[in-house]
Amino acid sequence: MTDMPMREPTFLILTALAASPQHGYGIMTDVAQISDGQVRLRAGTLYAALNRLVVEDLVEVDREEIVDTRLRRYYRLTPRGTARLAVEVDRRRRHTAVAARRLALLGGPA
Amino acid sequence: MDDRLRVSDAERDGAAALLRDHFAAGRLSAQELEERLAIILAAQTFGDLRRALAGLPPTAPVLQPASPAPAEAGPLARGYRRLLACYPVWYRRVHEEEMLAVLMTAAPPGKRRPSIAEATDLLWGALRIRCQPSRPGAEPAWRDALAVASVIVPLVLVVTVVVNQAPVFLPGSGALARGFRLFALEAMAAPLAMAVVIPLALRMRRVAALTGAGLPIVLVFSLFGHGVNVAIGEASLFLAVGLQTVAFAASAGPRRGLQILTRKHAVLVLVATLLVCTHLADVVIPAGATVRLILLTAIGAGMALTSSLGRWLLLLLAIPAWPLLLTAVPAIPGWALNVLPSTAAVTVAWYLPPAALATLAALAARRASAHSPKPLGTPDA
Repeated sequence: MTDMPMREPTFLILTALAASPQHGYGIMTDVAQISDGQVRLRAGTLYAALNRLVVEDLVEVDREEIVDTRLRRYYRLTPRGTARLAVEVDRRRRHTAVAARRLALLGGPA
Repeated sequence: MDDRLRVSDAERDGAAALLRDHFAAGRLSAQELEERLAIILAAQTFGDLRRALAGLPPTAPVLQPASPAPAEAGPLARGYRRLLACYPVWYRRVHEEEMLAVLMTAAPPGKRRPSIAEATDLLWGALRIRCQPSRPGAEPAWRDALAVASVIVPLVLVVTVVVNQAPVFLPGSGALARGFRLFALEAMAAPLAMAVVIPLALRMRRVAALTGAGLPIVLVFSLFGHGVNVAIGEASLFLAVGLQTVAFAASAGPRRGLQILTRKHAVLVLVATLLVCTHLADVVIPAGATVRLILLTAIGAGMALTSSLGRWLLLLLAIPAWPLLLTAVPAIPGWALNVLPSTAAVTVAWYLPPAALATLAALAARRASAHSPKPLGTPDA
């Protein structure tokens, strides 16, 4: 199960949380920034993913704050989440390395 | 929030209820629960309550004063709240304000209502959350409901078979025999059901699943043989067998089902079984009993609606019921069942194809199990 390739939104959410604990809106803006605006998470998608990640013990609640009467709940990676992200990074790195080598053989940009 | 603020009785009760939830979820031992409850009983300030709940994941915002900051107002917030109402209660209790805050922060100023894309996203998110387990280590409610269905549906099918088949081998007159004549064609589906029930009784889950998968083929043959009217009458039994197959293939199985079968759901089991018996033998049961049965059904359904497991269960159990509802509408022409004379020979003939199917499935499963480390007859975990 843990060896299954990760879907892009999940990968980006974990990447966003790898920097520091963040609240929902922070994750949304960070994900947009990481992906150069290509992935724009909406609240429904984000929170369904967060709920699954919390249940799978990859992410946990860090703390709560109230800013301008609005509740902010911060999330952070668990040790399991960190390990899972590392596995995924390794997998992606292997695949892109192979792709780059083959592109180089074709004489294309690598 | 200020830890020095004084707490009310209602807030102490809320915190105590929360502790019991955490105890039920296995996060606290009985001794820890008592220690922490003592702190709550003596709590004077929010700081005391916070101490009693230390180290536990946040669930409901009980640590906020009873008169919270003014909630989000305006048409946009109301629009979002209406969409968030589609989320399960346990999720909303924890995340509604948080999600609303994110939605309001992301909204450009002057926006008056949620866009269609946002509405779709929130509704899809609500559906996904409903299909996920509510806490770590738990099964999603739909899988648990399937596990309970894997207990109920075989029960109902066995009753069906008994009611349908008994008169063939115990010839005579009387209400039961007349009942059988009315439902002679459904008797064809009953042996098919048995082809699934028997392997299940022998704890051969995969055989049952394979047999069940073959049933649509037989349904197509019955369409050729008897025309569409008959098939509609039988559809509910086929659907029940199909539901059973899915329940066994996709859930943790009847053992898990029995573990989580609460008294509330046991009532539902009773009602479902009674309903099927009534449908199959409505010649026998006096018409006056119908009112009582409808009442019983309403009570059972009402009880089931109070939990997410019960709601999923109702949804699943309604699947085989819908053709019965259609046949009950006399205004639609062509729904009535055809009546064929029934003999023991006909019954035996109906048993042959499913028996062959079951044998084939058993052989295939045995062959498959020869290559897998886990033996076929292993009881469900």
